Amino acid sequence: MIRMPKLFNRFNHTSLVLAAALLVSPLAGYAQTASHSDRWLHVRVISSDAKGETVCVNVPLELAEKILPTINKNQLHGGKVTIDKFDANGVDFRALLDAVRSSKDGEFVTVNGKDGEDVRVAKQGGFLLVHVTDGSGHIGHHHMNKDGDDKKDESANKESGKPNVSHVEVKIPLSVVDAMFSAGKDEIDLVAGLRMLSTQGDTELVSVKDEENTVRVWVDSKNTNGPDGGTR
Amino acid sequence: MIMFAKIGLGVVGAVALTGAYTFREGVMRVDVDEYRGGGDHVHMWMPAAAIPMVMQFVPDRYLQKAGHDAREWMPVARVAAHELGKLPDSTLLEVKDGEQHVLISTVNGAIRIDVTDPQETVHVVCPLATIEDVTDEIANIRSGA
Repeated sequence: MIRMPKLFNRFNHTSLVLAAALLVSPLAGYAQTASHSDRWLHVRVISSDAKGETVCVNVPLELAEKILPTINKNQLHGGKVTIDKFDANGVDFRALLDAVRSSKDGEFVTVNGKDGEDVRVAKQGGFLLVHVTDGSGHIGHHHMNKDGDDKKDESANKESGKPNVSHVEVKIPLSVVDAMFSAGKDEIDLVAGLRMLSTQGDTELVSVKDEENTVRVWVDSKNTNGPDGGTR
Repeated sequence: MIMFAKIGLGVVGAVALTGAYTFREGVMRVDVDEYRGGGDHVHMWMPAAAIPMVMQFVPDRYLQKAGHDAREWMPVARVAAHELGKLPDSTLLEVKDGEQHVLISTVNGAIRIDVTDPQETVHVVCPLATIEDVTDEIANIRSGA
């Protein structure tokens, strides 16, 4: 009977100390994560229609790296996409990639179409740059027709009467492309690509602008996708 | 008298401990409001710490079935919950389309899903540690551990 109060006393102290420790532990965890300097992949789509639809996606690259290998569905296994039939119209893509990698900086492809279609493919400072300007009004509306062919829908632009000019800019670090094609034949290693991408500086990967939509895909160390969150 | 005071202090300590544990584990919250006539209104708050305990009372066959049905996505959910738990508060997805708004974010170690629509609103908050615990529990039952 005499020991009971002491036991209670000890229990009181222990429980209160444990309670305090439990209360503080999430804050300690937060302090660790707040200084975490992950690389984030951002996607922002802004539609200029009446509703002003916007889509913002922020994904930590590390999260994507960890999750992708756990997905085993269709062509995606272990973070790699298997391509059964890589139709490159007879072009050996790997040989082409090797040739681009070993060549000096410069412009490889320049196409100036009559209808205002300009295509430029270049290598510059370790980046593969693709620039497409389509002023023909043939942009954006790709549909599969009943024969299964990819067909452009020009009706929207014919109706509006003004050409729909589209600008597409793609800037991919060659090291990322290398990493993605470092897997076996007919495989694209997404995880290796993401890992390499996370070592790059702030980079705008894709930018698409036309009359209807603005699309941006970029990588930086911020976890926000606001107007100040981009690389420019 | 002192005896009662010490017992009282012990009870208060135990309540504080339970409260602190609940606070640490967080609260799972589901709010659904449908604005049509006769629409449903669901408001559920549950201490996240209670969920793994409640799962102990669920017959194994149901958890095995759930684990089997979701077997492809269980590792994804587990890894995602674990990794998201490391992040500071962040917006992962935001879609605005007129009066419709979808927001998926992490807040204080929980995943938060907010859907706002003229027809209905849905708010779900689930601590990431709970998702991890639940997926672990289901995985253990599936593997017969």
